[in-house]
Amino acid sequence: MPPSQGSAQHPLRLLGVYAALLAVIYALVFFTGDKAPTPKLGIDLQGGTRVTLTARTPDGSKPSQDSLKKAQEIIENRVNGLGVGGSEVVIDGDNIVITVPGDDGQQARALATTAKLYIRPVLAAIPVGPDGKVPTQNATQPAPAPEAPPVVPPADQPPAEVPPAEPAPQPRVFPAQAPTQPPADTGGLTPQEIAQKEIAEARATRQSADPAVQQAAVLALDCSKPDPLAGNDDPTLPLITCSIPGSQSSEVYLLGPSKIDGQEIKDATAGLNSQQARHEVNLEFKSGGSDAWAAITGDAIKQQSPQNRVAFVLDSRVVSAPVVQQGPQLGGRTTISGNFTAASSKELANTLKYGSLPLSFQTSEAETVSATLGLSSLRAGLLAGAIGLLVVLLYCLAYYRMLGFLTALSLFASGLAVYGIMVLLGRWIGFTLDLAGIAGLIIGIGMTADSFVVFFERIKDEMREGRSFRSAVPRGWARARRTILSGNAVSLIASAVLYLLAVGQVKGFAFTLGLTTVLDVVVVVLVTMPLVMLASRSQFWAKPGVNGLGAIQEVARERRAAGAALSEGVRTR
Amino acid sequence: MSNQTSPSLRKRDTEDAVDYDANFDTKSQHGFFSRLYTGTGAIDVIGRRRMWYLITAVILLISLASILFRGFNFGIDFEGGTRIQFPGSVEQSQVEDVYRGAVGTDPESVQKVGAGATSNMLIRSEALNQGQVEKLQAALYTEFQPKDSSGKPNIAAISVSDVSETWGSQITKKALIALAVFLAIVAVYITIRFERDMAIAALAAMVFDVAVTAGIYSLVGLEVSPATVIGILTILGFSLYDSVIVFDKVEENTRGVLHVNRRTYAEQANLAVNQTFMRSINTALIGILPIVGLLVIAVWLLGVGTLKDLALVQMVGLLVGTYSSIFFATPLLVSLKERFGPVAAHTKKVLAKRSGVASARALAAAEQRAVAATGRPPSEAELRRAAGQTPEPGARPSGKRHKRRN
Repeated sequence: MPPSQGSAQHPLRLLGVYAALLAVIYALVFFTGDKAPTPKLGIDLQGGTRVTLTARTPDGSKPSQDSLKKAQEIIENRVNGLGVGGSEVVIDGDNIVITVPGDDGQQARALATTAKLYIRPVLAAIPVGPDGKVPTQNATQPAPAPEAPPVVPPADQPPAEVPPAEPAPQPRVFPAQAPTQPPADTGGLTPQEIAQKEIAEARATRQSADPAVQQAAVLALDCSKPDPLAGNDDPTLPLITCSIPGSQSSEVYLLGPSKIDGQEIKDATAGLNSQQARHEVNLEFKSGGSDAWAAITGDAIKQQSPQNRVAFVLDSRVVSAPVVQQGPQLGGRTTISGNFTAASSKELANTLKYGSLPLSFQTSEAETVSATLGLSSLRAGLLAGAIGLLVVLLYCLAYYRMLGFLTALSLFASGLAVYGIMVLLGRWIGFTLDLAGIAGLIIGIGMTADSFVVFFERIKDEMREGRSFRSAVPRGWARARRTILSGNAVSLIASAVLYLLAVGQVKGFAFTLGLTTVLDVVVVVLVTMPLVMLASRSQFWAKPGVNGLGAIQEVARERRAAGAALSEGVRTR
Repeated sequence: MSNQTSPSLRKRDTEDAVDYDANFDTKSQHGFFSRLYTGTGAIDVIGRRRMWYLITAVILLISLASILFRGFNFGIDFEGGTRIQFPGSVEQSQVEDVYRGAVGTDPESVQKVGAGATSNMLIRSEALNQGQVEKLQAALYTEFQPKDSSGKPNIAAISVSDVSETWGSQITKKALIALAVFLAIVAVYITIRFERDMAIAALAAMVFDVAVTAGIYSLVGLEVSPATVIGILTILGFSLYDSVIVFDKVEENTRGVLHVNRRTYAEQANLAVNQTFMRSINTALIGILPIVGLLVIAVWLLGVGTLKDLALVQMVGLLVGTYSSIFFATPLLVSLKERFGPVAAHTKKVLAKRSGVASARALAAAEQRAVAATGRPPSEAELRRAAGQTPEPGARPSGKRHKRRN
């Protein structure tokens, strides 16, 4: 092929390559997977619940990937137990992120309950005042809780019952939150170190076998505060703890070492007790647990109050502590009943059934976005994008005249590819477009248009030196290419670092910004440059009124005139 | 496309070649905007760099002082708390009453956000537990009957978000790690891509950008959210991108400048700034227009949230970044060059040559030539330029600019 012809086809060939790329992308979009040409939307755009859980280890070390994976599995099972479709549980660094689309995701907020269930004998129970603390006069004389109703095995199976007066196991949004104001002397400690210190302190006082320390701990305990132990208590030691917060009949308990732990639970189901019209959680023990349950009830029945009670301790707090009325109870079944709603009994059953988490988690962020708000966010994002695009185009048309259309075409070409790739990535790697991602796309419009600006200004440079539009374009491109590549390299490094290191929502932002940066390079080489190259060869585009380059040509002419005059002078010298 | 330089062009680049531009006075014939547009020089940035340093230092000092003494207005993500949002537009006091009835305490704030069909009530409060949230949701639903997207009252139309107080610091910690990694990678990249002095100047401009953006946040009292913290990292990208583009031109203009005693490094750098001026303005505008759109829409329709936080921080950062790449990074580069290395000696040589006898002779010759060319006696300024003295800021570079780098 003769070189002249080759260079004439060159731009068209590049455009062809891009068209082929687009064709491949959209063929994949329409003929693979679910064939739906819509990207996966984040819950902030379609409505739903997202919960970010941060692991909290007793010794303050980083959680191992193994335990995170195990926790992910268990939480996944719990989420599926809720029966809402399309849920996702992913590990993001040291965090676990639960996403539940739709309006039914509220319960997902409670799924991170560690669910370390221990059944401990009650040694003492003291009612607490409204301030969440034990009144001083009661402290010296542990009194049986007067209102603790008896455990009466009903005629049919469930032998133990928790009094209705007990609160529903209100799943705390922050199961293991540190005290709200870290004391001044913790300055410089990381949250991990603070947590470690609190757990160690709580264990030293509240799990002591020394009666004097126990008494001091009972007095010091404030039931209105979140429990720093929360699932990190040692089951082989005694425990001083409160009932689940929010209860009308709060008590502080001194409990003996654990007799049964949650691992011994074979199954847990939520059910409605039609006789008493209340929701209950039915437990079924494995054989070991079943024997232990028989022993524990057999022991308790012989004791005086309050030692005739057993406590179900979930994440270091007492869910219920009924009085045993009959024992030993055989058969390995029991029922926990309380102030449950249908949803909360189901939650507790799920939590117990799907095992205890290997880690205790703190809910760092829990967001439920209504479908309404999601929809208006999506609209706002799209509207902002459309407006952004429009103003950029108007500005380009005003400044570059008809060449602005080439910018428009480039932006359009880039937009098509970005959209297709987002759909595909949603299918392949679960990329979800969220509000922050839309922000990244909109900011990316400016970045993409900017490549054209760099190119155009380089063309101007060349024309200022006296070249025609036609000859300025290839030379301008040779220089612009380098600048565009270095500029985009920096942007790409920024988005890649952000994507790899940032947490939460901002990942979407970094991702779309990075994606538009990469596509910017592709588009400027395969679309913008060929288009401008083609334009430079046409008579129409060469007109100053069309390309807006008249002023530059004027300067070039003046320079030539002055230069010629000077050369004249040099020759005459 | 040919990368070869035509013989005639190459000839112009030699030491003995005639300097066309030096004889061409753009200033007398074109207005400010025309010179700005054509990149033929409108602003003497480098020559007045002391002034720009002063302005830069003042801005920086105000920012640092504000960060130090006023601090930041940290959002809910740093203090922990609950945010409840539901569609509709009702009286704030009514919402406060319902809140008080359900929770027993006062909310931190109740505000109306968004506009028209998408208006929302936003309640911020201390961290509530699940039970309190459910109670409040039920109370709000009974009282205000918020409607879902299909227009029916629905309790699920109430959005709730909880944040623990360690979340913000967790994100900030991650952001700081990201910052360190980014700085390390970028420092390596631009040191390879450019020379040492340019790397220093670009990084200094970047530090300035981050400090001033943070300063503006502190000064104006804008709310800092995790999205803002992360947004600052993106600004680093912008900032460097801008510096890279200006330096690219500086590099091109100053290539070989030390071999020719006609122009100083500073003059060539000033030329580069002027030639990229329109680009910088356009880039800033094209970057900012969509961001402004985003900001307006986000505030108007949604009131608050990630979208607004990201847009706002980007806008502030882009403006600061554009300023610093022109008025701080390049002057700093020239100062570094003139203080250390061969540029200082070269500048002296050029200036000495200009004030020397040779230049007086050239002055006379230039007058003769100019009269012959234009038929009018030239002004003194024109003459000095013609003799190869102070060139116009917009003059063509005279170094060996067509030499390929690789």
